[in-house]
Amino acid sequence: MKCTKRFLALLMAMTLGATAFTGCGASKDADSASTGEKTLVFGDTTFNAENEEANIDPHDTYCGWPCIRYGVGETLFKFNDNMELEPWIAESYENVDELTWKVVIKDGVTFSNGKACDAAAVKACIEDLVAKHERAAGDLAIDSIEADGQTLTIKTQTPKPTLINYLCDPYGCIIDVEAGNADGIVVGTGPFVCTELVTDDHLNLAKNENYWDGDVKLDEITVLTISDGDTLALALQNGDIDAAYGMAYASYPLFENDAYTFSSTSTSRAFYCQMNYQSSVMADDAVRKAFAMGIDKEGFVNTLLNGYGTVGIGAFPDNYSFGGDAVSTEGYDPEGAKAVLEEAGWFDTDGDGIREKDGQTLTIRWISYPSRQELPLLAESAQSTLKNIGFDVQLNITADHGTIVADPSAWDVYAAAFVTCGIGDPMYFFATHCLDDSTKNRGGYHSDEIQALADEMNSTLDIDARSDIAINMQQQILDDNAFVFCSFLRMSMISKSNVTGLEAHPCDYYEFTADLDVQ
Amino acid sequence: MKYIIKRILQLIPLLFAITFLSFAMMRLAGSDVVEQKMLNTGQVVTETQLQAAKIELGLDKPFLTQYGVWLSNMLHGDMGVSYVSGKEVFSTFTSKLPATLFLTFTSIVLTVIISIPLGIIAAVQKNKILDYIIRFLSFIGNSLPNFFVALVLMYVLGIKLGAFPIISREMSWESVAMPTLTLAIAMSAKYLRQVRATVLEELNKGYVMGAKARGIKFSVVLWKSVLRESLVTIITLLALSIGSLLGGTAIVESIFMWDGVGKLAVDAINMRDYPIIQAYVMWMAIIYVLVNLITDLLYRVLDPRIRLEGCSND
Repeated sequence: MKCTKRFLALLMAMTLGATAFTGCGASKDADSASTGEKTLVFGDTTFNAENEEANIDPHDTYCGWPCIRYGVGETLFKFNDNMELEPWIAESYENVDELTWKVVIKDGVTFSNGKACDAAAVKACIEDLVAKHERAAGDLAIDSIEADGQTLTIKTQTPKPTLINYLCDPYGCIIDVEAGNADGIVVGTGPFVCTELVTDDHLNLAKNENYWDGDVKLDEITVLTISDGDTLALALQNGDIDAAYGMAYASYPLFENDAYTFSSTSTSRAFYCQMNYQSSVMADDAVRKAFAMGIDKEGFVNTLLNGYGTVGIGAFPDNYSFGGDAVSTEGYDPEGAKAVLEEAGWFDTDGDGIREKDGQTLTIRWISYPSRQELPLLAESAQSTLKNIGFDVQLNITADHGTIVADPSAWDVYAAAFVTCGIGDPMYFFATHCLDDSTKNRGGYHSDEIQALADEMNSTLDIDARSDIAINMQQQILDDNAFVFCSFLRMSMISKSNVTGLEAHPCDYYEFTADLDVQ
Repeated sequence: MKYIIKRILQLIPLLFAITFLSFAMMRLAGSDVVEQKMLNTGQVVTETQLQAAKIELGLDKPFLTQYGVWLSNMLHGDMGVSYVSGKEVFSTFTSKLPATLFLTFTSIVLTVIISIPLGIIAAVQKNKILDYIIRFLSFIGNSLPNFFVALVLMYVLGIKLGAFPIISREMSWESVAMPTLTLAIAMSAKYLRQVRATVLEELNKGYVMGAKARGIKFSVVLWKSVLRESLVTIITLLALSIGSLLGGTAIVESIFMWDGVGKLAVDAINMRDYPIIQAYVMWMAIIYVLVNLITDLLYRVLDPRIRLEGCSND
């Protein structure tokens, strides 16, 4: 009896303890409400050192991404929803000759510290960028820069038809280099000023009182790095955060109601399969064709991705003039695929459901990696649909995929994710994946036509002509079935319904603007 | 005192061995920080850029040279900088320690508060209704993985009751409550069975019968004799838990955004951030040696037989 009393006493003590803890739970909105300031808390799964976003200095690795996304930095030009260039800090550009570009900076643009952002400041910034940032130096190939008032003259070492596009990369954010970068915090021209930054934890932003392009509606923003997808979802449900980037597809249904707003857009992040031409199985044209016909892209996007994706045809989504149905490829056709294989001599002779030819089974070693949630789903979907055609797909989804893919005898198909048109220019994908000297031409693909078209592209400045070449190049790799583009990421940001002005953008660069507000 | 110095001196060869082994194992794991960064960003880096980045970090040198350089710097008090964040390893590591120490303290205290009384009650009430209830709860607690308990607590206490924040924004009682509960539930479930078994074993010993026969109150026997005897076993268990808790609890830390060393270590391993991994390995080795040392010393205080045996051996 005494023990029972003690037990009850203990329970009461624990309850009291829990109540005391609960008492500590002050209202989240109390502070901001009492000061009358408008604040927003944003949860992001991608803002971390692992993604080379340890700070917001655009001249350091990929730190330009948080700099531009969170409204601290702005570039000379920006992309519109159709990924076409439009003025931002600069008002115009002129291609004087194939090596010379003239850029005119807008009057009245200032950094957040009040200093004027003129051609001299931009020159200092770009010179600092190419001195520190190896990738930018290679992309821009700048020979010299001259500043005169608001006019900037850039000379390149080689013809760079896409120079202005490259200057829209997040590393091209214009910052006041004289103000320094203490703790990775820089002074930009954007609507927000960074006041505190703790890598892998949080970033505090305050309104830029000197913003040159209108009133900034929010007073303060806190960006939290939240690595766990479930925590992100629960934090948004609980109200700990007001908006989220990087939510898992499985959590989307929780927010498909009036209390939340989705802002979604197609991006050029493609989920694709790359064929290994050094594999005896994949070198067979019929196998590659049947493989392309055996992947149910619509089923993958509509069922496994809950519709949050766009079915892929070529290398670019349909918001590009050279993307979407500007090209054509094999559709999902299991019966057609079987016929193609049989015509090429692949039959199931031993009745085990897997086809053989000349003693070789139709086995595909599929390599991919788990860090993009779509890739394991794509692998399982393809394994299932290809099995019905007679393929034996052996999956290896590993973080150590780089080591395997480096050995051409160890794999047949590599499935990956890649931003095919991040700077709005199609040549980026072909240069990295399809040419003899491309760093990501992992499967040893070679096409004389593609090589010739690439040469033509590199000497073409006209945007429409480049677009036509991009279509021809895509059609060639699709006809060869060297790549299968399964889907494109439909990027979504989810916010409480009282948050306005948070719009997803196809290039994934722009998030916080002066219009971002909490009602 | 001699014993303590001897044990601390044993730490030196242990640290050499363990840092060398961890260094070697990370190299065997394949890939390096430069390649991991490239894969994470999904962007294209030329072979020249890749090599330049490796040379800058010294990753192009032979394994033994890399270890030698690290060791030499370490012995001069320089733990290096993180390959990923570019920040000093020592300050990065020490900035995460307070959170881990706080969570370890609260989890252990709550575990003791829950498991010792419940374990004793279950032993005293053996095969009665309270015993069954406590054992059933212990069974449930043991069966649930930490991440699941964390999500259930978040849903019930965070979303449904609104009692606690989901995200731990600072080191406060309010923020530490749910991570503490998550860890304490699993540990208490395990310990209360151990406490029950130990107390039962003691209760069946002759001295308890003798004390009863001499008319000493049961509660006095329980608290003054049985519990003291059981403490040796309980302290061994707690010491092991303190060791692993001080090493951080990566899953709980990630889920609750508790900024401790466990998450730091897992992130570092994923990114092949060798300087951080080495710092973590050294920390773990030091913790286990010190916690074991303190436990041994406590044994000597609690049980004079151990102390006397030690003397005769010397």
